[in-house]
Amino acid sequence: MEKEYYVCTGCGLLCDDIELEMEKDLIGKVHTACRVGVAHMKESPGEAEYLVDGKKVDEKTAIEEAASVLKAARNPLIFGLGTSTNEAQKKAIELAEKLNATLDDTSSFCLGPLIEAILQEKFKTCTLDDVRNKADISFFWGSDPADSHPRHLSKFSYFPRGQEKQRGWEEERTAIAVDIRKSHTAKICGNEFYQVPPGGDAEFIEALIAGLSGKLPKTSFKFPPKKLLELANILKGARFGVIFVGLGLIYSLENLEPLIKLMDTLNEKAKGDFYLIPMVGHYNMRGFNETLFEKTGFVNSVKFEEGSVKHGPGYSVVESLKAKTVDAALIIGSDPLASLPHSIAKQLLEIPLITIDPCETLSSRKAKVSIRSGVSGVEAGGSATRMDGVQVPFRPAIDAKRPSDEEILSKLMEAL
Amino acid sequence: MDFGSFLAAPELKVKIVTYRDIFQNKAMIEDRFGEDYRTRSAIIKLDPADLKSLSVKKGDTVILKNSFGKVVVKAEESGYEPPHRGIAYMPNSPWSNMLVSNETGGTGVPKFKDIEATASSAKGEKVTDFEF
Amino acid sequence: MTNAMELYQLLPKTNCKECGKTSCMAFAVALLSRELTADDCPPLKNEPKFKEKYEKINELAGPAGGATETGLIVHEELCFGCGNCVVACPVNVANDPYGVGSGNAPKKNEKLILTIEDGIVKAQNVDECRRFGKNKILCTGCIVTCPVEAIEFVV
Repeated sequence: MEKEYYVCTGCGLLCDDIELEMEKDLIGKVHTACRVGVAHMKESPGEAEYLVDGKKVDEKTAIEEAASVLKAARNPLIFGLGTSTNEAQKKAIELAEKLNATLDDTSSFCLGPLIEAILQEKFKTCTLDDVRNKADISFFWGSDPADSHPRHLSKFSYFPRGQEKQRGWEEERTAIAVDIRKSHTAKICGNEFYQVPPGGDAEFIEALIAGLSGKLPKTSFKFPPKKLLELANILKGARFGVIFVGLGLIYSLENLEPLIKLMDTLNEKAKGDFYLIPMVGHYNMRGFNETLFEKTGFVNSVKFEEGSVKHGPGYSVVESLKAKTVDAALIIGSDPLASLPHSIAKQLLEIPLITIDPCETLSSRKAKVSIRSGVSGVEAGGSATRMDGVQVPFRPAIDAKRPSDEEILSKLMEAL
Repeated sequence: MDFGSFLAAPELKVKIVTYRDIFQNKAMIEDRFGEDYRTRSAIIKLDPADLKSLSVKKGDTVILKNSFGKVVVKAEESGYEPPHRGIAYMPNSPWSNMLVSNETGGTGVPKFKDIEATASSAKGEKVTDFEF
Repeated sequence: MTNAMELYQLLPKTNCKECGKTSCMAFAVALLSRELTADDCPPLKNEPKFKEKYEKINELAGPAGGATETGLIVHEELCFGCGNCVVACPVNVANDPYGVGSGNAPKKNEKLILTIEDGIVKAQNVDECRRFGKNKILCTGCIVTCPVEAIEFVV
């Protein structure tokens, strides 16, 4: 019998092989998903809840109140959307256009620049299925999938057999980690773990490029040149190499130039080709970036104005709050009061907030209007874009008692 | 007031690097206001020699502060080799975010993984609870 | 999951050496590795005041406690559910090459030794394990691939 699989929307890996055992209307046993995935799938699917100033109201009142907050605002901010479906994200973009709003997601302060560069074809990229079928080098740089995307190594990047990788990881694959600490992923990489000091990545890249080009690799932190040359040799031998770039590397670089140069050098010096995949955390951050890019040419940090689009760091959530240019915020599936520096997020306490989120958060507690939505992938279906750009459709696992964020955004649009 | 003991408390400048932890992430999904999330978030992992210089034992609370904020978290030994005196690790959470600078140079990107703060013994003070 | 310290806490802690070990801690280690059983500690076995602890130890380190016949122990509280061991286990690969062997959910469950259930690795069909039986070999596929040493063999 053909088994029935569900998609886990717990992280950017979007594992599509999850089996569920139902207990009455709830999810009972979860098979094959990791710890985080199980916690996500079992997130308690509560009743719909609509709060205005912390008091329970009906749906209509909450939507009307939210609409009036947004109408009254001169420059509202729409933010979040990393855990919304492609369909909900499209609705939010429409809403931003209609409201002449500032629109941003978490990518403006994490992997946004990298995704933009990939969409602009500054890097060669490939799919995770290619990685499973062909990759002989998986290089984790400033990323720790063991903790952030637990099945990354087992499902795609190191342990599985693939079409051209039939003999197993010991013989046919090499996993490499560069990090500032011995992460759980670095531990699995064993001897291929290269520790750099905080902020040392750009220099390490430069030294590695020197090593690849047959020069003596030197660093101010005296990384053993012999070990660096060994790494360069491993990389040169690659037939299909992939660098999985995480926040550790992105935060350590002032811009992407060193990384672009490294990828170019690798593609010039190695036997085969080198690709890059961003280690996207939220399950559909890349979806937002791609959809907005298609529409506006930018992946994040935009302001709509009577049919035109402005773009720049000044329209990012962080700079908008710092400069106090936004006077209301609609936050969808994100908790900026927890995830942004308090020194910046505190500005959110000065403006009216509307939150749409499956759970109570620090931000929803401070919201003028707070609406509980269904967990997408569990209570609501749709589609999402995996970290490697592959579209993954999914259907809900249980009957929802709560509206999806897409439905809430549609109603909000109507009320406007 | 016992100013003597206050002045005597050794202080240490630390560079804090944030990271992700699977069990902390799981605890957040289960209940972001719960005990489990707090215990797994409100921690700082220090080099054993740094703990010693602060006269703090693992499990004791420490005050971390800079011009942006102050938090009380539990001190732990990092267990990392090689020694990393002056560099400390915290899981990314509202606790670490209390200390992140608002200086971004107009880039929109705060220095989440590069925090400078001073650590000192909290002398039994409880871990910070959030309610803005 | 049991560790030596937990077992030690249940012992008389008199270091009487009647078991043949030099201390109660050494006895606890021997219990954990299945070298000795609770019955090898005469005070624990015979004195009524230890009755509860004796039973508890039998539960934790008895013939069926924790470890499987191959001595495979899963430290559930450490496990990430990443599935590295599931995919790397050579027996799993041989028995289900297109399911777990390719990184996916099991397609054929029958002879799999390791699977992930509710985010934690579960061991079954351990008689299939390469460390078991007449032609056993010291396979370490599930141990070296684990980020947190959640799998251990005590023999």
